Amino acid sequence: MTKMAGLFRPKKLDLSGFTNTRLIRDHNKRMAFEQTEPERQALRYMIRNTSLPGRVRAQAQLQLSQMHAYTRPTQIKNRCVESGTARSVFRDFRINRYQFRMQALAGELPGVKKASW
Amino acid sequence: MAQSRILDLVKTQCRIFSLNFNPQRLRLGNKVLRQRLRGPALAAWYPKKTVSFRDLQNTYKPLGLTTFDEAEDDREEAIQIAKLRGKGRPKKKRTAAESRSAKKKK
Repeated sequence: MTKMAGLFRPKKLDLSGFTNTRLIRDHNKRMAFEQTEPERQALRYMIRNTSLPGRVRAQAQLQLSQMHAYTRPTQIKNRCVESGTARSVFRDFRINRYQFRMQALAGELPGVKKASW
Repeated sequence: MAQSRILDLVKTQCRIFSLNFNPQRLRLGNKVLRQRLRGPALAAWYPKKTVSFRDLQNTYKPLGLTTFDEAEDDREEAIQIAKLRGKGRPKKKRTAAESRSAKKKK
């Protein structure tokens, strides 16, 4: 049985600003994770609870491992909101180092100042 | 102090602060239940869709107001120019037979 990633693709894009395929894919993964997080946590609880019968725990393990890859939090990667780049993204600003430099030099980031001593 | 008294104290403490009383230190997986949900924070990473010019157009057109989208106008003009130069988009192939005959031509 193949599980299609298209299940998690919304009919209409609910993003503004820069978009490319990889950014949209990452957004879809985030949405999928948000939807299935309670279910994942319930399964994780069952797996870790040693007072439950072994069979139940094994079933929970199987069910968790068979969930779609898009519902896994490790699939989520912070991407630059301005350019979609996945590398060297500042978490506080959500943009990568190059965009950060350009915007900081242009004075678009409040409180950011070029160091000099 | 007696062991049982300490256990009673811990039990009361757990009841008051709604903690899990587990003197045998069994692995009950309660740490998973204690975790906060990360989904909403992760899902809010990318900026959500806001009101676009097209939305305004859709709301004000039925009221009889005229709107002018300069970027859209420029785009349509460029398409017209491209068509005149014979550089427009190819006709959409609606059926399988049409698309096959288009491939054969080459």
